[in-house]
Amino acid sequence: MCDCCSSEKDIYLPELATITKAEMMNQTEMFMHLEFDSGKELGHQAGQFVEVSIAGIGEAPISVSSSPQQKGFEMVIRNVGRLTNAIHGLKAGDKLGIRGPYGSGYPVDELKGKDLVFICGGIGLVPQRSLINYVVSNKDEYGKIVILQGTKEYEQRIYTEDLKKWDDIDGVTVLETIDVAHDSWKGNVGVVTTLIPKIEVDLTAAMNLVCGPPIMYKFVLMALQEKKVSHDNIFVNLERRMKCGVGKCGHCQMNDQYVCQTGPVYRYSELASVPEAI
Amino acid sequence: MSIKKLSKDVFKSFVDALIASDQQVIGVKEKVQAKGNRFAFDNLQSADQLRLDYDITLLPPKKYMLPQDETLLTFKVAGESKSKIDNSKLILIGVHPYDMIAINQMDELFSQDQQDNHYMTRRKNITIIACDVATPSKNVFASSMGTATVESGFDILLTDIGDAYVAQAGTDKGEKLLAKASGAVNASDDDLAKRKAIQDKNKDALNKHKLNCKPSDLPGLLEKAYDHPVWEEKAKTCYSCGSCNTTCPTCYCFDVQDQVNWDLKTGQRERSWDGCLLENFANVAGDHNFRKPREARFRHRLYRKGKYVPTKIGGQIACVGCGRCINGCIPDIANPVAVYNRILEDIKPD
Amino acid sequence: MSKPRVAIFDFACCEGCQLQIVNLEEEILDLISVVDVVEWREAMSEQSEEYDIAIIEGSITRPEDEERIKDIRSKAKVLIAIGACATMGGLNKLKNNFQDLEEVKKCVYKDSASMPHLETSMTKAVDEVVPVDFKVHGCPIEKEDFARIIRSLLLGKTPEVPNYPVCVECKKKENVCRWEYGEICLGPIIRAGCGAKCPSASYRCFGCRGYVDNPNVDAAVDVMDKYGLTVDQLKSKMVLFGSKQGPTL
Ligand SMILES: Cc1cc2nc3c(=O)[nH]c(=O)nc-3n(C[C@H](O)[C@H](O)[C@H](O)COP(=O)(O)OP(=O)(O)OC[C@H]3O[C@@H](n4cnc5c(N)ncnc54)[C@H](O)[C@@H]3O)c2cc1C
Ligand code: SF4
Ligand code: SF4
Ligand code: SF4
Ligand code: SF4
Ligand code: SF4
Ligand code: FES
Repeated sequence: MCDCCSSEKDIYLPELATITKAEMMNQTEMFMHLEFDSGKELGHQAGQFVEVSIAGIGEAPISVSSSPQQKGFEMVIRNVGRLTNAIHGLKAGDKLGIRGPYGSGYPVDELKGKDLVFICGGIGLVPQRSLINYVVSNKDEYGKIVILQGTKEYEQRIYTEDLKKWDDIDGVTVLETIDVAHDSWKGNVGVVTTLIPKIEVDLTAAMNLVCGPPIMYKFVLMALQEKKVSHDNIFVNLERRMKCGVGKCGHCQMNDQYVCQTGPVYRYSELASVPEAI
Repeated sequence: MSIKKLSKDVFKSFVDALIASDQQVIGVKEKVQAKGNRFAFDNLQSADQLRLDYDITLLPPKKYMLPQDETLLTFKVAGESKSKIDNSKLILIGVHPYDMIAINQMDELFSQDQQDNHYMTRRKNITIIACDVATPSKNVFASSMGTATVESGFDILLTDIGDAYVAQAGTDKGEKLLAKASGAVNASDDDLAKRKAIQDKNKDALNKHKLNCKPSDLPGLLEKAYDHPVWEEKAKTCYSCGSCNTTCPTCYCFDVQDQVNWDLKTGQRERSWDGCLLENFANVAGDHNFRKPREARFRHRLYRKGKYVPTKIGGQIACVGCGRCINGCIPDIANPVAVYNRILEDIKPD
Repeated sequence: MSKPRVAIFDFACCEGCQLQIVNLEEEILDLISVVDVVEWREAMSEQSEEYDIAIIEGSITRPEDEERIKDIRSKAKVLIAIGACATMGGLNKLKNNFQDLEEVKKCVYKDSASMPHLETSMTKAVDEVVPVDFKVHGCPIEKEDFARIIRSLLLGKTPEVPNYPVCVECKKKENVCRWEYGEICLGPIIRAGCGAKCPSASYRCFGCRGYVDNPNVDAAVDVMDKYGLTVDQLKSKMVLFGSKQGPTL
């Protein structure tokens, strides 16, 4: 055992960070920017997550949504339960406990030189955004970038300004759809897979990055299968119940994989022997 | 390291001296509540209470390293938290070899990657006096798992050779402790021969259920058994009561929850035992359960023991054959040997 | 912030759950330091028309009770049902097993059966009449469980209510299982939270906290065979608290 791990650090002890900006993106999603009180940087990779807590309420895994290259870090939180509900009551100046970053993140180097197709459902855009921001600001190193965003209802759309901003960048295409038609919506109506035929890049040569609710994966993966995309060229970003974030509590396990350690990002071909994954 | 012989009287005064010292001494005692002979690790008030002839304890000794419920942090509500590390020292007497091996596995799991200091601090403060099995329990199958005897992990290992105990020091800590046993003599060749006979016998005799393959065949066998009918056959009468998890010496899954005090300003973050057989173990928001069917949860435990956890602990099988899950399962479906043997009827290991 | 106003009401019950609140002893002082108790027949004479939290004990057994509980619901922001009577009808539901309620009355009250205050109808749990926000299970409730749930609510957090069975807490306490003594313990299908109170006192669980969300009742039937018991024996144990709640055999 090396010295660094025998030190008295408590892996369950959160560090306080202050909310520097908090605003509602729609009725259920709150955006926030945080900075550690100690002044340190999170030092995360795109695709990693943190364990967020309010002492007295509880703790939950939340993706880091900002690029690793900016000051502080950002998250988007959907109000679904105890902790997330309490977080929605917070404002700039309030504090959250943070542990992490945890998980494996995206293999940014391996994606270099490739066309990238992001396929996102709902708040699946949140963890992908950290990578999107990273690749658009290092655009020279990557090929064409396509972002597909599907949202159930018009009112639930998130990061609308970011989507527009990205779409304006040369070499980046954003296609958006909503499941249920709405008077104010002129764009595509239908689930996210209906956007796949509209993509102009060669999907089989591109890296396809998928993130969304559990039900979405089956359909997107089927659609990619039809397009003969190799499983090596698909990355999925999975959600599981998590308590510890550090490979101890057992909750996140799918077969022999601990999502908090080897995930949440997986190359789809690696999941061939993980039937509990999708 | 030394191997000594302690007559029963010498051993008794040794234990009484430990109890009289400032250390907390835990040993195997008869469970008061029980009508028959049922045993549990508990505080010893006198050496007379110690029952090293016990068959099995209701709960494994893991409750001293990973208590049923423990405080990880204390906090100010919505504010800062502080670690709460339990530094109490104790001596644990009577750990059976299979339980010792389970502790060795847990030590590895809690120290690897990111070390869990709550577990590890407790563990380092526990002195373990293990003992070879004198009375096999009704469902033990340690012989099948290669866990009927133990080589390491203990500070002292005792073997009852009739009129005396052979005591082997396993660590410096154990060596120092053993040196305090006044009246102990060096074990003779004859004593060691007696001890070997007992250990050799246990290697075969702790086998109320016989696994029809080598433990090391299990990962390969399970590789091919994911869709075997046994999961449904067994799990249709599963209560999802988690008794096979809570009583298992190698189960270590946990839940964490915050509790607040009446001032509503302070509180604790608490960890407690959880189990993968319990219905909501893999629930996430939106009432989505990643392991909803009973058979999926039932299968997960037997895969954890036979295939998944072994990848984290150098291939060791994470079932030590104590038989507690069999004792605790009311519909009698939890027996790992019955499950693995049922698969072996249809599938041959590599 | 002003303290939330709490009112405690009782319907058909033994008032044992309120007694558990009284039994909080020193903690009662803690409780009233964080809430204002504005109405509580068992402990004070005042009555109030204004409250934030209504705590309901007892089941709904008479038509006028239905009116009263609807009135309480309309005034309370949060309504908490405490104890088996309120959460699932409790022992009072035993009478629902009889076809003719007049017969039940005659059997219980003999000649006085026709007096108007003994008017009776099918027993209902509170949530069979009005929406219930939170439940504190048990017959009686566990005072620590009640205290924990109240503190959680005061913090604005939905209390955690276990959906695992009593066996989990029972094993954690290292009890010897009642089944080993040939007793029909309902622990494996009953919601935990009591700390396995009965098995810890060498008595089988008779199910006062109600079923877990998804009890394996089929398994319970299979198990009877294994232990040389009959399904009728199991049923007779389950009827005490299991009458017409969730899956009945
Ligand atoms: C890697 C990862 C990244 C994530 N990123 C984000 C993100 O960026 N933004 C975001 O909003 N969310 C994200 N999530 C999801 C988020 O972690 C959950 O929504 C969060 O845990 C909810 O916590 P809560 O305390 O608010 O809800 P809880 O109060 O814990 O409950 C929410 C729901 O969880 C289930 N549940 C919880 N506990 C139990 C139990 N004991 N028994 C039964 N069911 C239970 C229930 O269905 C309940 O409705 C991520 C999850 C993972 C794993
Ligand atoms: S699985 Fe059963 S027999 Fe194996 S170690 Fe756990 S409790 Fe003992
Ligand atoms: S996953 Fe299941 S079998 Fe494994 S340690 Fe956790 S509770 Fe035990
Ligand atoms: S002890 Fe038996 S009934 Fe209970 S969860 Fe385990 S396998 Fe199922
Ligand atoms: S005594 Fe009852 S609650 Fe306890 S383990 Fe046995 S069946 Fe479960
Ligand atoms: S053990 Fe069963 S009957 Fe006893 S208090 Fe708990 S739930 Fe009620
Ligand atoms: S979250 Fe605890 S093991 Fe992964």
